[in-house]
Amino acid sequence: MRWFAYATEKSKKLSDIEMPRLILFYRLLIRPLVREPVRSALTLLAVALGVAVILAIDLAGNAATGSFRSSVEALAGDSDLEVIAGGGIPETTVASLAQLPYELRVSPRVEDFAVRADSKQTLPLIGVDLIAEGERYLQKINSGTPESSKPAQSDAEQFTDPASIWIGASLKRNPGDRLRLIINDQEREYTVRGVYPDSNGIESAILMDIAGAQNALQRFGRVDRILIHVPHDRELDQWQKIIGDALPTGAEVRPQGTGTVENRRMLAAFRWNLQLLSYIALVVGGFLIYNTISVSVVRRRPEIGIVRALGASRNSVLLAFIGEAAFFGAGGAILGLPFGRIMAAGAVKLMGATVDALYVSSTPGAVELTWTCVELAFAVGLSVAIASAYSPASEAAAVSPVEAMARGRREFGARMHKWRDLIFALVLGVAAAIASRAPAIGNKPMLGYLAAILLVAAAAFAIPALVDAVASGGSRLFGKILGVEGLLASRSLAASLRRTSVLVASLATAIAMMTAVGIMVGSFRETVVTWMNGKLPADLYIRPAGSPGTDRHPILSLDLADKISQLRGVATVDRLRAYEISYDGLPVTLASIDIRGRGSPSGSTFFSGRREGEVFSELRREDAVVVSEPFTSKHHVKTGDFITLSLGRARPRFHIADVYYDYSSERGNILMDREILLKYLPDPAPSNLAIFVAPGVDPETVRQEILHATSKYRILIFSDREIRGQAIRIFDRTFAITYALEAVAVMVAVMGIAGALLALVIDRRRELGLLRFLGASTAQIRKLILVEAGLLGLLANIAGFVLGTLLSLILVFVINKQSFGWTIRFHWPVAVLLGALSVVYAATVLAGLYPAQVAVRLNPIEVVVEE
Amino acid sequence: MAILSLQNVSKEYVTDGQSVKALSNISLEVSGGEFVALVGRSGCGKSTLLNLAGAMDFPTSGKVELEGECTKDLDDAGLTRLRRNKVGFIFQSFQLLHTLKVSENVELPLLLAGRSDGESIVRNRLAALELSGLEDRYAHQLSGGQMQRVAIARALVNSPKILLADEPTGNLDTATGNIILQLLRKLTTETQTATIMATHSVEAAAIADAVVRLRDGKIEEIIRH
Repeated sequence: MRWFAYATEKSKKLSDIEMPRLILFYRLLIRPLVREPVRSALTLLAVALGVAVILAIDLAGNAATGSFRSSVEALAGDSDLEVIAGGGIPETTVASLAQLPYELRVSPRVEDFAVRADSKQTLPLIGVDLIAEGERYLQKINSGTPESSKPAQSDAEQFTDPASIWIGASLKRNPGDRLRLIINDQEREYTVRGVYPDSNGIESAILMDIAGAQNALQRFGRVDRILIHVPHDRELDQWQKIIGDALPTGAEVRPQGTGTVENRRMLAAFRWNLQLLSYIALVVGGFLIYNTISVSVVRRRPEIGIVRALGASRNSVLLAFIGEAAFFGAGGAILGLPFGRIMAAGAVKLMGATVDALYVSSTPGAVELTWTCVELAFAVGLSVAIASAYSPASEAAAVSPVEAMARGRREFGARMHKWRDLIFALVLGVAAAIASRAPAIGNKPMLGYLAAILLVAAAAFAIPALVDAVASGGSRLFGKILGVEGLLASRSLAASLRRTSVLVASLATAIAMMTAVGIMVGSFRETVVTWMNGKLPADLYIRPAGSPGTDRHPILSLDLADKISQLRGVATVDRLRAYEISYDGLPVTLASIDIRGRGSPSGSTFFSGRREGEVFSELRREDAVVVSEPFTSKHHVKTGDFITLSLGRARPRFHIADVYYDYSSERGNILMDREILLKYLPDPAPSNLAIFVAPGVDPETVRQEILHATSKYRILIFSDREIRGQAIRIFDRTFAITYALEAVAVMVAVMGIAGALLALVIDRRRELGLLRFLGASTAQIRKLILVEAGLLGLLANIAGFVLGTLLSLILVFVINKQSFGWTIRFHWPVAVLLGALSVVYAATVLAGLYPAQVAVRLNPIEVVVEE
Repeated sequence: MAILSLQNVSKEYVTDGQSVKALSNISLEVSGGEFVALVGRSGCGKSTLLNLAGAMDFPTSGKVELEGECTKDLDDAGLTRLRRNKVGFIFQSFQLLHTLKVSENVELPLLLAGRSDGESIVRNRLAALELSGLEDRYAHQLSGGQMQRVAIARALVNSPKILLADEPTGNLDTATGNIILQLLRKLTTETQTATIMATHSVEAAAIADAVVRLRDGKIEEIIRH
């Protein structure tokens, strides 16, 4: 009771103190905001959009990258360890493990992909030993099968039938239904024996008996993974040692689910970069909050003076303005939550497609708005709002009551120190240059990002000098070109230097990021196009039907290459075989090609600058490999180093003969001679074929010949041009999300310009009214505001373009290189940049339309007399 | 012929749903070179009358004619043209644009009218008002008297037919105020402009050709000197 009395007393005291403050806060700060609903709404919306974008990328990232092959992992059950080997584990290993004198549950699995013949949907295909473990799997499977639709056939009969499959509920099929699947280059019909609940409600997998899977995949004598459940009487690493000792040299044992962890590690840079990009809109929103609070402080200087004279402390003033910013931050977070959820639905499609095309086969999971997301929204909304408002709020707190009341409202320019700021800008610019030269920290370009932030800060400090030089210095010129409105607009912008500088800085930041990302993507695109021109020497390429995936390597029938090489018009058929392997804790693609006779006549795609023929002859002579550029940056290796690979029963060591430029995948590739790989993985079936047409023969004629001769195979034939087109389409889709993020940042900035122009109109109503007294027409008033908007856009475009170009150098040569390991050649995407800058400029001018209309509607008598 | 003619002019405002009569049945004529002082208590309608005379507002009833042109018959563009060509305004708080130099403030009405030949006119006006040498200064670098002279130069730059001054000495000390009044008096005669000045000052009223005393929106008396 005493505690309760104390608490009641305490809360009463608190409320006695807090309530008057809240009343004052409402009367002096919130009520004026309500009186300017459009401007307040624009600021609120700007913060909301900033929060929404961050939330959307976070939610979409979780959904798109958090669920790869979760159905496969869900079906792994309670296994503790898994055994893997590059190219598969010999089946005999399963028996060896089962014979160990421990109570181990050994579950071999074959894992690949199947394509639905009707919808072309790619689904994970899992082969498990149903004879030995059928009962355990049936417990999972039957939980999704309605009792009435369970087949009469016995379980044993179903298991041994190679046409039996079990599927996830999201495929919406019932037991007894038929399903046609393309596995490798063959299409077969299967019977659905049971339906199980999908792991995340939307991702399905095809389950079949291991023998049937091996047969369908032509993967005889090998399994892809062995899952092991161990007794819990020893530590897991002890079991890892015991089992590791029993394995052939090429196999390795690791905790079950390590593949998922590897995939998440592989995707870390992709998610990290997108997340950082998503913060740009909020940074722009931060500038706008800074501007809003600055305007608020300037407008309320007399009020600050009065409340200070009446007894308010400096802290009260500081807290009041911080409170105003927090109001926008919290409001923006509340609004940002539903916006973010809606945006996430679109973002997850784009991110999912990119993850699937470039990293790992996955089906995006459901977008889930959790409490963590709500916390994130409030944390970013409030922290950016409060941090942005701190400087103007401190300035308000520092004003003495006498000064505030005596001088009344004054212009922003009064406290600008443009020369001092210019020196700051120079120092920050030098710091950015130094940071950009530093190496990555923990595989992340931390100092590269720091360099970018320092550069943005340097620009923010340099912008007042630019604004002053252009607006003041060029005012006569603007007057001559645009008439008296040009003169008045430029002088007005120069006079409100601080306000103008903040607006220009916010829009310039958005434009700079748009320019930087535009140049980076344009450079990357041009590099990829140039690279592909030298990379696709064959006339036609063949792969099994189904959508391509960087971790999916279905194989072609053995006899196909021979059949095609005998066709009229075909000069050579090269075979490429690819495997998904794990190297140094990350997924890697291991590929082999026919080295003999290869070698492009000109140019080089190798770091050493050597011709292809020269490098490939080295691959033939010894156990040597070439690796892709991303592989070197991910695994910190270079030409001349040695790498050890787990291949079948062996762990051979390879010498890196050279490094080649490669933009097909970020995961890293290892390339070796086909004959050498066959020594370790004796499976001659190719994943792809490259067809060289005889001189003078039309490739289209050969394509028709191949189609005719291979009608029983489910394959796809592409010309080099089609592959280029497909690659560019994937490329463009990959970067679509970055453009979307840039668009939101620009939208936020343009909204800020509209809000700020509105404030400018309200603050300069006396001047606008006076102009009407002096003979200005309404058209001239409208033009004046639009010219101001146009000048703001022009200044922001100039600053944004220069800053963006510098940022693009950091993006291309530092952040991209350290994150993904690609060498990109700098290229100006002139048309794209011109188009984007023009659109932003037009949007900025259009943002002035509503404020201009407000200016026109002002009653000159009222506003002049009011003053 | 009268430059300004007000015939049975009334003006009503509606504030918070209530009608307030600012002017009631006012008739007044002012000719070129005539200096008229409007006197009366605050809220008696002086500023409203100036706004009607300057084509900034329409009367609720009656007619306002500037050189025979009835303001009620004009649209917004017509009123703007009328102000540009025939009206000059002077305010109590000077109303100079602080972003413009002295010469640019004076040139502003010409530029708004689309005239780019104003340089010599501005120079002459500034010289006439003893402001030569201050062309490149900004408003905040001037004294109160200088600011008001710049405002007068600006009001006269487009050679208006009528000059409307609302308490032009209200923000000035007595000595400076008297100088400004003498200047206005002199300019009215020299340029044959019709000048109407709203004022509380007895000294200001004393230099006028006629003093119009307003009370509750009505002309109480007209005293001609």
